[in-house]
Amino acid sequence: MGLMLTRDELAVALVQAGQGDRSAFRTVYEATSAKLFGVCLRILPDRQTAEDVLQDTYVTVWRKAATFDASRASPITWLVTIARNRSIDRLRSAAPMRNAAPVEDAHDLADAGPLASDTVEQADEAARLNGCLETLEDKARAVIRTAFFEGATYDELAKRENVPLGTMKSWIRRGLMRLRSCLEA
Amino acid sequence: MTDPTHTPEDDRALAGELALRLLSPEDERAARAREASDPAFAAEVQAWNAHLAAFAAEVRSVEPSGAVWARLQAVIAPVANDNGRVGFWRSWAIGSTGLLAASLVAVAVLIARPAPTPVVEQPQAPAGGVTRVATLTLSEGGGQAMILAYDTVTGNLFIAADSSMASAQGVPHLWLVKPEGGVQLVGAIAGEGVSRQSLSAALASQAGTATAVAVSLEAPGHTPAADKPDGPVVASGELQQL
Repeated sequence: MGLMLTRDELAVALVQAGQGDRSAFRTVYEATSAKLFGVCLRILPDRQTAEDVLQDTYVTVWRKAATFDASRASPITWLVTIARNRSIDRLRSAAPMRNAAPVEDAHDLADAGPLASDTVEQADEAARLNGCLETLEDKARAVIRTAFFEGATYDELAKRENVPLGTMKSWIRRGLMRLRSCLEA
Repeated sequence: MTDPTHTPEDDRALAGELALRLLSPEDERAARAREASDPAFAAEVQAWNAHLAAFAAEVRSVEPSGAVWARLQAVIAPVANDNGRVGFWRSWAIGSTGLLAASLVAVAVLIARPAPTPVVEQPQAPAGGVTRVATLTLSEGGGQAMILAYDTVTGNLFIAADSSMASAQGVPHLWLVKPEGGVQLVGAIAGEGVSRQSLSAALASQAGTATAVAVSLEAPGHTPAADKPDGPVVASGELQQL
């Protein structure tokens, strides 16, 4: 599969899906399901659960596509946010058994894949995000990445890094504020 | 968080914490409530989502199995175009609404009666609510698996399973697909023939808003968690209002 669409084409398909157009919805699915499945697989422990959540994600996309506003959000942001939030909801609704890999390992894992961006726009945004992440302290950078890719909470990150909760919060808050001013500079 | 001295910086950080999903369950609930009621804060959360979604460029794409699309198709399928099935339901509904019509006539008679006679008898016919129906199709092959009807007032559920379900390995369990996503277990159902059951009040209200139903096959003696089937989802269908 791997239907390639530009951001604008994807936005159009999503808007049409919001009007009940099933073939446009299929286009959205074909263009984005492999990416969103990758997002689910990063957060969830097994393929079966990830497929369940992927299905939930697209049911939500179908039902809420009418609320997608192309002038306010990029379609891929909108879709990734739903897939990631659904995955985290599922993760947290399950038993509190978590893989407790240290953040360093997770960091390696996050870097393992090739930088496979689907569109030029995405590649630009990713390059900017990574450029700004480079300006953070190593610790803050690593835990922010882990929070995104694994859906770990403050509490979990503090335990994994073996630091007090307050310390973890201040690392990340400081990192976030710096990241934001860099991104919007 | 209700501290009136909080600064725009604090809000921006909180929005980032919410977008990243760092907060504890209590803090997250409070922040979500804020997001729902405060457009400026919601815009901050959205801005963070947009920035952070760029991380997804690093995620390797993985093709999901074809079963995901097959199940999705069942959820979004327009039952109205399913020649024959809707007709079947309409005629079935007319049969059952005969009773409803009778009770409405009884009510009309009571209203039309001018004297302030106390109402001495309630109509005996069951007060019907909205009837919701679904035709479930098999995830593999798309053949018809069962038909289901649900009365939103009485909580009565009617299921007629097709013979195609009888050969299934495992115990069929019925699930409601919630409008916000996710599923809710109803319970084990008969895999063949016609069966009726009454839903508990808690389930009944969910069944009134569910958008679709699905059936999973579970190992004998095993009850899955209420929000996630452990066995394969073998059939599903959209719930329609008659």
